[in-house]
Amino acid sequence: MIKAYFRPKTMQEALDILSDPALNAIPLGGGTNISQIKSRDVAVVDLQELGLNYINPKGNSLKIGGTTTLNSLATYTGLDEQFRQAAAQEANYNIRQQATIAGTIVAGDGRSTLLVALLALNGFLSWLPGSLDQEIGEFLLTRNGNYPGKLIDSVTLPLNPKLRFSAVRRSPADLPEICVAMAVWPSGRLRIALGGFGPYPILALDAPERGGAEMAVRDALTNSGDQWASAEYRQQAGAALVRRMLAEL
Amino acid sequence: MQIKLNINGFLSEYEISPGDTLLQVLRQHGFFGVKFGGCQKGECGACTVLLDGAPVNSCAMLAAQAEGHEIKTIEAMGEHPEQGWKKTAGLHPIQSALIECGAIQCGYCTPAFVLAAQSLLDRNPNPSEQEVREAISGVLCRCTGYLKPVQAILRAAAVLRGENVPPIYGAPQTLPLPADWPAGAREQSEFPPKPGQPETAVQSKVLPKMLLSGDAQRKATSQIGKPEPKVDAVKLVQGKPAFTADVELRGLLHAKVLHSPVAHARIKHIDTSRARALPGVAAVLCYKDIPRVIYSTAGQSDPIPGPLDMFSLDSKVRFVGDRVAFVAAETPEIAERALKLIDVEYEILAAIIDPRDAMKAGAVIIHDEKEFVNFGDSNPQKNLAAEIRIDIGDVQKGFAEADRVYEAEYTVPKVQQAHIEPHVCVSYWDEDDRLTIHSSTQVPFHARRILAPVLGLPIKRIRVIKPRIGGGFGGKQEVLIEDVAAHLTIATGRPVMYEYNREEEFTAARARHPMRIVMKTGVKLDGTITANEMRVLSDTGAYGCHGLTVTGNTGHKAMALYVGDGPYRESPNIRFYADIVYTNTAPAGAYRGYGVPQGYWPVERHMERISRDLGLDPIEFRLRNTIRPGELHPFSTAWSEGREPRPEIVHTVGLEDCVRQGKAAVGWDQKFKNPDWHMVAGKPYQRRGIGVAMVMQGTAIPYLDMGGASIKMNDDGSFNLLIGATDLGTGSDTVLAQMAAEVLGTYVEDILVYSSDTDFTPFDKGAYASSTTYISGAAVVKAAEQAAGRMRERAARMLNERKDGKQVTAAEITLAERRANAPDGRFVTHAEIALDSLHHSDQEQIMGIGSYYSKSSPPPFAAQFAEVTVDIETGQVTVDRLVMAVDSGVIVNPVTASGQIEGGMTQALGYAVCEEMVYDHKGNIREKDLVDYHIFRAHEMPVLETIFVETFEPTHPFGVKAVAEIPMDGVAPAVGNAVLDACGADVLSNPITPERVWRALR
Repeated sequence: MIKAYFRPKTMQEALDILSDPALNAIPLGGGTNISQIKSRDVAVVDLQELGLNYINPKGNSLKIGGTTTLNSLATYTGLDEQFRQAAAQEANYNIRQQATIAGTIVAGDGRSTLLVALLALNGFLSWLPGSLDQEIGEFLLTRNGNYPGKLIDSVTLPLNPKLRFSAVRRSPADLPEICVAMAVWPSGRLRIALGGFGPYPILALDAPERGGAEMAVRDALTNSGDQWASAEYRQQAGAALVRRMLAEL
Repeated sequence: MQIKLNINGFLSEYEISPGDTLLQVLRQHGFFGVKFGGCQKGECGACTVLLDGAPVNSCAMLAAQAEGHEIKTIEAMGEHPEQGWKKTAGLHPIQSALIECGAIQCGYCTPAFVLAAQSLLDRNPNPSEQEVREAISGVLCRCTGYLKPVQAILRAAAVLRGENVPPIYGAPQTLPLPADWPAGAREQSEFPPKPGQPETAVQSKVLPKMLLSGDAQRKATSQIGKPEPKVDAVKLVQGKPAFTADVELRGLLHAKVLHSPVAHARIKHIDTSRARALPGVAAVLCYKDIPRVIYSTAGQSDPIPGPLDMFSLDSKVRFVGDRVAFVAAETPEIAERALKLIDVEYEILAAIIDPRDAMKAGAVIIHDEKEFVNFGDSNPQKNLAAEIRIDIGDVQKGFAEADRVYEAEYTVPKVQQAHIEPHVCVSYWDEDDRLTIHSSTQVPFHARRILAPVLGLPIKRIRVIKPRIGGGFGGKQEVLIEDVAAHLTIATGRPVMYEYNREEEFTAARARHPMRIVMKTGVKLDGTITANEMRVLSDTGAYGCHGLTVTGNTGHKAMALYVGDGPYRESPNIRFYADIVYTNTAPAGAYRGYGVPQGYWPVERHMERISRDLGLDPIEFRLRNTIRPGELHPFSTAWSEGREPRPEIVHTVGLEDCVRQGKAAVGWDQKFKNPDWHMVAGKPYQRRGIGVAMVMQGTAIPYLDMGGASIKMNDDGSFNLLIGATDLGTGSDTVLAQMAAEVLGTYVEDILVYSSDTDFTPFDKGAYASSTTYISGAAVVKAAEQAAGRMRERAARMLNERKDGKQVTAAEITLAERRANAPDGRFVTHAEIALDSLHHSDQEQIMGIGSYYSKSSPPPFAAQFAEVTVDIETGQVTVDRLVMAVDSGVIVNPVTASGQIEGGMTQALGYAVCEEMVYDHKGNIREKDLVDYHIFRAHEMPVLETIFVETFEPTHPFGVKAVAEIPMDGVAPAVGNAVLDACGADVLSNPITPERVWRALR
């Protein structure tokens, strides 16, 4: 239950509140996950006045503020079109006006299309306080929902890889049963992320070249079975999607 | 804490709690146009507001977050143009367009559509259809199929751009049916735009195609057949507080229910003392606190055709979500906290989740209560809620005479009605100590009757009021939660509101019965069906509500269509056996289609497979065996819902014309068996397919359903029409007003419809069984004819007293255009008649009352077509197009009727490809929200097309048959058949998920 609401004007003020153990405060971006914090007493720190809603190109990368909305991502023409699609498919139109990239990174599950794309692109998170950079894949593996005193300042994405994103769904706007994001760098480096199941997306491959991609996907999906689809199916469908992506690239 | 919110341009201070959502605060302060959809993840969008011009879900943000931003709600849009001496700017063009295009059904999501459209048009005055669909895709609508809302927004955009737009409400032309009607030529011509102005092409999409079947003749009518705007549209488009949860009462308490976390258990111990002690808690009730009265929640006529097997609260729980205790508190939050303070110790019992285990020897008995009341062949010792055994003709002989016998098992899933307005009711004692209940119910009169013994009150001390309903689809043909609020009102003496959230809708409401169905069909090589058998295992869940009648309709409607040909047509051989069993899952109940969609999945998949195996044309094979006009409904002498069966002749069958029109519209002859069309250029892993299904439904329950109506004339010649019928968004109030206006010679705007209130409106069995237009409509006609008779008498006398022409008799008077007309052209107006009758001479109240029950249940028919694209590597199915040609008799209102078809096809599309409720081995459900339970959004819809082929049903004064349920029946099998056509994947279970297709292809 939310016991207190703060809207700090400065980042330092926000960090001070977040680091006060008596308050048990958590950052509030769009607020679309507020229903999920009914089970414990918390204070919320609304980040809306901290200037974190931005997308800034910087050389071969893009720096995205933590409270940048999914709608901003879905409509920003400087982003790869398939990345924008992954952002658009993350949530419905109204929710995209509110939900943020940092909130999705913290709360999204394995069916999060945006997380799958971010993982394939090997996005980096910048945490405050300090200037700790962390690979999104590393964060997902250690994610526990409890980051006292910290918040995601920004997400940095490389602009040079090509991204391909594809998903299988029961209907065009349904959650994916299997989704694949593949990023290919000019050097030939290939990263494949898989989603549609589990608590967070998984990385199937990060290799200097494309050989063995299909097998890597099948291996990564070995234990992907759940109530929504069998592992056997996901392996076959995932492999089919990867074959097509490789052919397109 | 205090915040300042700028709402609709007014900056005010609000005292809130930090955790209050914007939705809570807005509704607390009277912004009732912002609706609660019960969801917790912002998935439905009924609570949409504009925040700095962007549509956001107010349930998914804190009120405090909105400080410093501009909030706009529907209350800031347009309003009624005339308010007495005050004139206003009227409705906003978006609101007007939604009304004109028939885009409003239940109206619960309408304010959200208006605001989402406003946001779009502010940014983009000339959007494409896809951009409109994207912009409103954050708002779920379960009624319309989005076609008309999208067209309305395109129309509004054109109006706002200053363009010439065609009138929607010119009466659509009803054309005779040429033998070979080319698809392209059927398009209705657009209203010609002025030179130089772009044309908006909404009319041809909003209005359905209308054709007369064969030599059918329509009566000359002025109001019947007109696409009248809905009588409740103006209030709904303004977001007026018209729904149950919008009622404001002093001292209102909020109810919550503690639901069982286990599938089957006895309550060994329950202690509510800690909950009672919580400040703000007014009452906590468990099974020890209220009388133990057995009843059924099924909203059906007396006697309820099913077992009595439920208590308001019991010492035993029978599914995850069953009731354990009720709480009433000052706020919903306090009530939630109190639930956590109730200590319960359960003695866990074995649970039956798979219906195939229910009747096994040694299976745990779910209903071992001594009070259980059997109905028919129910047997709680065998977990058997009901049993049906129907043999028509000699089925064994039919199989013996067949050249081939085909047998296969099919399954259909449990699915949810998913009306956007949750179940909600409010109860209170009135000043006469009568219990008044406002409820979002389809069955106010049944609710009153069923609740009386449960509450220990005589029927006369209960009053049930039905406000507007935000969708029901059968889910509210259940006396589901009214008893909770009522018990708590009795306990506390205070008003109590109980409103489900979305999770409760999935865990503790009703759903469509899942079934396992074995089909066995004997066929001659020429395609003549010699015998047809269906054996059903139907899962009614923990309680038997609607179990018998839903499953009975599975056979009664789906197995009646194919009677065979030649001698078999004279004497069909049909068998329908069903076991309806209890399991420890949430109860099933009524859902639009009422068992019939379950039947047509196996029947139409089976017919397709047989025709392909025999090398027969699937359409010719079907039509060879379908029932024809003048034939006996084969089940009419074998089974009826709760009454003894009596023979019924099917008078009108427009099915062949439906097939012809549907084929032309979908381009069947160009696509079916055309290998080039089945391939997708540039995508070798995709295949196209086309499929068909033929269906029939029913219209009302013969010898059982009854509706009443009363009409009285007012001083100005207008009329009050009081009906017990419950418009749950379908437009039935409008259609009934059209019938009244037709008989009374006036216009719909002069018919003031009120529905319904058990104290003031005549009895009506409620909105179910596709009966309102037919049954309640006939009652309205009878009442109107009484009033019209008095008007003619008085008009004749008034004209004769003038002595300015030939003497006339009442029989010579005709009523039209608000006048009573003599053959020589003289007339008196309705207003003159009213003033004369109420004030001037021989005073009387001109009024009429009528009721109607039917001896027949004329079936509507339809041909459903589907086009799909299948990914043969992943199994993903994309439905590209749905075309439905329907014989629903005479169409009273083409816009509301086609809205029923479009919305029904969309629900059925979910049944085809994505909707299902799945339980784990402990009885926990997988789907608890509208994220996991996916219903179609505006931007993912296939093309929808509706064609009405009109017949004139002789058993109704205006020739109508039902339209509401039949669109649920054919989509899933048509899609299944299209998938088979595309790639050979023969999926026997719906929904047709990617994995099921992939497995079928292996």
